[in-house]
Amino acid sequence: MTCIAESPRSQCAALGKPAKGQAHAHHGELLQGAFEDDQGRLHRGLVTLPLDSLRSTAIIKLKKDNLLSVKPRTRMKALRAAQLALEHFGHPTFGGRLSIESDIPVGHGYGSSTADVVASIRAVAAALGTKLLPSTISRLAVAAETASDAIAFEAEALLFAQREGVVLEHFGGALPPFVLVGFKANDTSGINTIELAPARYSGQEIQLFRVLRGMIARAVQYQDPRLLGRAATLSAHISQRHLPKPFFDFVIGLAHHHQAFGIQVAHSGSLFGLMLDPRSVSLRADIHAIVAALKSAGFQDIDVFSVNGAGGTHEL
Amino acid sequence: MNFEIDYFRALETPRLARLGPNIVAAAFPLMKLMPARFILDRAEKSGELKAGVHIVETTSGTFGMAVALLAAARGYRLTLVTAATLIDQAYQHRLERLGANVVPIEDERGDGNQSGRLAHLQAIMESEADTFWTRQYDSAGNWLSYARLAEQFVRSMGQVDWLVGCVGTGGSLCGTGTFLRQLYPHLKIAAVDTHRSVLFGQPVGKRMLRGLGNSVIPKNVQHHLVDEVHWVGAYAAYHSAHSLLRNHGIFMGPTSGAAALVGGWIARTNPGAVVAVIMPDEGFRHANTVYNDQWLSSLPGWPCEATSEPEALSVIEPGAEWEWTRFDWRRRSLDEVQRSQNRRAE
Repeated sequence: MTCIAESPRSQCAALGKPAKGQAHAHHGELLQGAFEDDQGRLHRGLVTLPLDSLRSTAIIKLKKDNLLSVKPRTRMKALRAAQLALEHFGHPTFGGRLSIESDIPVGHGYGSSTADVVASIRAVAAALGTKLLPSTISRLAVAAETASDAIAFEAEALLFAQREGVVLEHFGGALPPFVLVGFKANDTSGINTIELAPARYSGQEIQLFRVLRGMIARAVQYQDPRLLGRAATLSAHISQRHLPKPFFDFVIGLAHHHQAFGIQVAHSGSLFGLMLDPRSVSLRADIHAIVAALKSAGFQDIDVFSVNGAGGTHEL
Repeated sequence: MNFEIDYFRALETPRLARLGPNIVAAAFPLMKLMPARFILDRAEKSGELKAGVHIVETTSGTFGMAVALLAAARGYRLTLVTAATLIDQAYQHRLERLGANVVPIEDERGDGNQSGRLAHLQAIMESEADTFWTRQYDSAGNWLSYARLAEQFVRSMGQVDWLVGCVGTGGSLCGTGTFLRQLYPHLKIAAVDTHRSVLFGQPVGKRMLRGLGNSVIPKNVQHHLVDEVHWVGAYAAYHSAHSLLRNHGIFMGPTSGAAALVGGWIARTNPGAVVAVIMPDEGFRHANTVYNDQWLSSLPGWPCEATSEPEALSVIEPGAEWEWTRFDWRRRSLDEVQRSQNRRAE
């Protein structure tokens, strides 16, 4: 039963029992830029690349009229999110212990803090015996950490206004499956997303974003990973003009040499991703060659992901 | 009340028509709304275009109509400077009914007197404080606006291998082409022009087919984007417009006929390629001419055979109105092509 403050029958039977919420990581963005809404107004927006193999788990034990604490104590955004969720349900005086366990590395563009935030909001909802819509979770997440991403929507592909927490376009399905080789350059340290000055895009870039958005809509509708890869590569090139990543040209060359059909970056982090066709007959050899080239060039945290159940990585 | 309604955005959006197994045409009711709305929106956002400003432009064509519709809806004063030889009474009256002040300049040479029109426009801007010139010939807003068309092609076709469209200011073909080629570097672009237009190196002269071609070269024409040029005569364009109506039920103007003619041939000769064609306006304005047998029979040389393929040119030269010619431009600048033509002539 949902525990609603005004409800006279509110028992909140689950109080005191641990409740769990989870959220997965992402591997940066496939597209980030500025996009028109239905009224022709521009919003900063992005298309997230979800990564469900890395997760944050939040566990909360609620008590009435209590302080809310978080472990580890550095996860202040998660704490704030849990408080906002309690206020949303009409229980601002509830408190208790929130603990976060996450296998998502912090500060490298995997969306670790948003995952903590979303997991915490889901844990609060679970503790109160209910669930929230992804759109509500996103709104609360933006309130908790200023900007958010679309991971509350799980595998649903969408164009998301990260600073407002609203969906600009539902692409009507999941991203087409592909294999991702993720890595980062070795001299990059963690980045605090909010402290970065937002890019000032030119009129030409904003118009190109419009076309790239259409390309991703088409890629989702027809499950065409190559079209998705082309859009991601062009978005990465625009990002490079505003927030240059070291070794970008090297990565472009590598992608070209090994038949990767796309390059994807964390626009405000240090991650790169090469997108590969899971149906390619040379997939295994290509992955091994790419990983070897990355290792010898000094890249770190090299990992191979099967996005949306692409398969093809099990033999590695 | 929350209405997400924008009449002009809807009106500027073309309907897509499949003209064959591998060819799709964007049939615009009034294509020039796309750049006109974009240019006005941008100027309003930047503060350049404020309430009460007097909009000016030199045009005899559909860009004037597009700006006149928007100026009427948004409450701007508008003056359109045109040439006496280029504007017909009915069109002038339609523009005037929209509230536009239409100024036809004398045109004794019959070439459109673009310099006289520009001088008049400059005089208005010098004598008044709050004027805004939309500058469709050289404003980046013209070609940038066509990202919407590129987006529409991408959403409905996925990949495009050939883009075919008319050139007048260069905005639609070069704008759409610039965006599509960033997505698909292999994209080929075919420019559709008409005999005696100077855009791709022909000597200037009287053009019978109106609405494409030019007697001057606007900055928005990006020659280096173009793989091949087709010069379609008026009669060839009329035949193609008739065929669009008769065989597809699509009622378009003659420039759209010219684009469909070239696009159809490219689609037939490249059966593995996906062809996108831009068709800029509807047939209503031409009901009493191109779609009127009496008017057609008064033309010298009409009726004539419809042409089904272009004649390849090695020397760029004007043809007759029933002729359709083609030249391998190969993404060169106008200067490069003219130098190689001069060497050939020596």
